[in-house]
Amino acid sequence: MSTESMAVGDHSTTHDDDHEHHPTAKTYWLTFLALVILTALEVAWSYLGLSGVALVLPLLIMMVIKFAIVAGVFMHLYTDLNILNGHWFTVAFGIAIGLAVSVYVVVFAAFQFNI
Amino acid sequence: MAEAIIDQAATPVADEHHEGHYTSLGLSNMKLAMWLFLGSEVLLFGALISTYLLSKTRFLTELVAGNPEVVAGISNDENAELVNEMITKGSVEPLFDIPFTSLSSFILLMSSLTMVLAHKSVTEGNYKNLRIWLSTTMLLGATFMAGQVYEFTTFYREGLTYDGSLLGTAFYTLTGFHGAHVTGGLIMLGSLIYLSFKGRMQKDRAETVELVGLYWHFVDIVWVLIFTIVYLIH
Repeated sequence: MSTESMAVGDHSTTHDDDHEHHPTAKTYWLTFLALVILTALEVAWSYLGLSGVALVLPLLIMMVIKFAIVAGVFMHLYTDLNILNGHWFTVAFGIAIGLAVSVYVVVFAAFQFNI
Repeated sequence: MAEAIIDQAATPVADEHHEGHYTSLGLSNMKLAMWLFLGSEVLLFGALISTYLLSKTRFLTELVAGNPEVVAGISNDENAELVNEMITKGSVEPLFDIPFTSLSSFILLMSSLTMVLAHKSVTEGNYKNLRIWLSTTMLLGATFMAGQVYEFTTFYREGLTYDGSLLGTAFYTLTGFHGAHVTGGLIMLGSLIYLSFKGRMQKDRAETVELVGLYWHFVDIVWVLIFTIVYLIH
């Protein structure tokens, strides 16, 4: 076994392997349908005349779901993360993201918003 | 310039870089570089969205309190009723045309679908479909931009100018930066279509299409955030 192939280890893959794991066209259409339904729900919710937490919380939850769907399926993050699962890079990246979001939320909570 | 960058990315450096490009992470370095770039974009748009929220709160507080400078900053000869409605509701909601913006959101979501179908086509070696889906994506993106121009024009007529109020500055900066990113994406899409017609966007270059797709989907994701935070949570 060459030094290069040893360095690659169990995480090695190729572009072709990568593409083989990507979703089917049917999955993409269903994902789009889910996004359209969520957007319609968001708009409908904004017309209910609610305010404060009752307005904001469901809208933010639907927004995060849409965010996750686009990033996960269209941007292939679900399949790519499966490839990276257990890698030190994934753990380090996850910790960094968690820290960044925590700092952002704490600083943002110091302000008051008109909603 | 964008075409040159994409062309460079599409130019094989060596045979081992064509296919079977091994990396210790399991993903190509180009894709990781794009993700790092998108990470830096998150910081940019995170700052712009935060600034918008803080500016809107400050603007509305002073508008409702009757600060003459703030009221004058958003008033013109024709929008007295609109400004009064904003003061009464304590909200910027009267400014927005939610059905129109919802349609724009639908168009941008649709463009993400066509983009990912373009990538699927190139991985399958179907270059005719690649060009059809890329062209459709470009058309949808251009339609979204036309909608944004129309929206900006309407807002301007309604009294929301760039330098008249804190709200206007924050709103146009945020949505304008997003529009600039969409425009950048359109240039990239145009370059891909050109390269495809020239026969330089083959199956072994599918990752180039995927990288442009990542950028395009990111622009879509940013709009998902803007649509909810700016337009619906008014």
